[in-house]
Amino acid sequence: MHIDRAQVIRDPWFAVGLGIAVGFGLVSLLGPALAPYDPWSMAFSPISQPTGEHWLGVNDGGQDIFSELLYAIRNTAAFGLLSGLASLFLGIALGLTSGWYGGVVDAVIMRVADVLLAVPAIMILILTAALFRPEPWVLALILSALMWPTVGKTLRAQTLSLKGSLHVRAAAQMGGGGGYILRRHLLPEMFPLYLIGFAAKARMAMFMEASLAFLGLFDPSRKSLGMMINYALQFYYLDVWWNWLLPPVLCLSLLIMGVTFLAVGLEKVLDPRLRADTGGRTWA
Amino acid sequence: MREARTPLGGVRVGTVVSFAAAALLMVYLSYAIPLLLPGDFVTSMYAGSQVTLTAEQEAELRAYYTRDSGFFAYLGRWVSLDWGYSYAFLTPVSDLFLEALPWTLLLMGTAHILSMAGGFLAGVEAAWRSGGRAERGMVGGMTFLEGVPEISTGVILLFVFALQLNWFPAVGAETAYAGVSGLSRFVNVLHHLALPLATLTLAYLPGNFLLARNSMILVLRASYVETARAKGLPPRRVRYAHAARNALLPLVTRFGLRLAFMVTGALVIERIYSYPGLGTLLFNAIQARDLPVIQAVVLASSVLVLGAILALECLYRVIDPRIAHAH
Repeated sequence: MHIDRAQVIRDPWFAVGLGIAVGFGLVSLLGPALAPYDPWSMAFSPISQPTGEHWLGVNDGGQDIFSELLYAIRNTAAFGLLSGLASLFLGIALGLTSGWYGGVVDAVIMRVADVLLAVPAIMILILTAALFRPEPWVLALILSALMWPTVGKTLRAQTLSLKGSLHVRAAAQMGGGGGYILRRHLLPEMFPLYLIGFAAKARMAMFMEASLAFLGLFDPSRKSLGMMINYALQFYYLDVWWNWLLPPVLCLSLLIMGVTFLAVGLEKVLDPRLRADTGGRTWA
Repeated sequence: MREARTPLGGVRVGTVVSFAAAALLMVYLSYAIPLLLPGDFVTSMYAGSQVTLTAEQEAELRAYYTRDSGFFAYLGRWVSLDWGYSYAFLTPVSDLFLEALPWTLLLMGTAHILSMAGGFLAGVEAAWRSGGRAERGMVGGMTFLEGVPEISTGVILLFVFALQLNWFPAVGAETAYAGVSGLSRFVNVLHHLALPLATLTLAYLPGNFLLARNSMILVLRASYVETARAKGLPPRRVRYAHAARNALLPLVTRFGLRLAFMVTGALVIERIYSYPGLGTLLFNAIQARDLPVIQAVVLASSVLVLGAILALECLYRVIDPRIAHAH
């Protein structure tokens, strides 16, 4: 599968997405260093407007909103990365296995994928979160166990079409075993699809994290963009819109836009034959 | 295309079986997960209370609550809408659920129909003008919109149209105690519906648009479209009667795949506008730790989603006769 690097980098969507992602990446990494105050410190006068000392003001609990925001971005981004990576790995492992070995293995994996596609992931997450209050990374992994099927199905379809290609047949002819061919030929060849799959899943995971936090399903002391929106919305009648509610809303939008644009940019330059195979969309 | 269709619409029995499996899985999870909780119901209910139980009373209570806790008994009670009582409202959970359900159906159903129709028409028109400035502008705008999550659209629309401009109400599904009926009630409900509906429609529109456009572009390359044009048919007839029918197919299949995910947005939107549907019911139940309600809403809405996807599978067969004849 050929992908033209120069063409990817020239694509405006990809460039904008990359810029946003790099920006948020830096903010997430440097977050604790950049934060002027401890986001859990309740030492300031509640619900005050932005000043030189508190750039975004102070929330109802007397906490500095700007510091809160930096930690929240970090948490939301980390959740998205972890869940995106885990579902990508599951999708690769199960999709390639299913496509390469076929038969019963394929039938079983694809049936499971069908079942998972139809189950609303948010419902299982709500049930788990409400009953057990697990650590966020546990929820991220549960989510990835539920959302690998779209990646898995795309990769399976691609494996099937690569299976008959000349170089794979040649490798098999020369005595290459299944594991060897999967690792050396199929795995690297589908690299562009991994990037798209990862961006799509990370996007979905960040959206889920924000929604779960917004619904109040995480530990209340864990900073998150969704939770900040939820708390700020309860004071909608006060003058909190510009300094308290809008910053997390904008950050969440930008974060999700960044990964969406990355996926869109990559998809546009992908081999057109593949696009024809998947009805024009390689991710849902 | 061919690859994607086989597992989806190929084997009817297989599909029904996997959906039944998914539904059973959900029921089983909602039965098994609470059992995995540390401690048991009696301990957790009485641990923090003033009542001190003797060992005898405790054993009695425990026997009472574990009386018919087999999975099939649970399933039976569940099917007969016997979902227990809400801790917070002390009313049957099924009453609360059935009260909230119509509002969610109204909101989500209308949003899906609007975004599907709008996205399809816009996508077909955009693909027809492929390469032109209008098409590029539309694709750009829709891609941008796809990046904006429902939470953000909801909060921004609420701020601008409900709190600043005061054009629409910010809360609820109709004016409480207004005592209106007939047409004025209908108008009142629509007035309350407008903002949440606009938010969800905006959220669902880009996906439908981009999908319709992409598949329409592929369809327009087909030779039968060429033939239709060569016959000198009017462009609109070529577009809709010949090409667009086939561009509709991926839209319907993908809809089923996305529905399970799109429920998330609806939950959040209802909470933002305090719309009295299942999302708000679930939100309040989570706040109050009202476990029977959480369990019932989660389970019943999952089963409803499964049912909707299954219904779509059948619809798919109707609009694409090739599938029905292929087996």
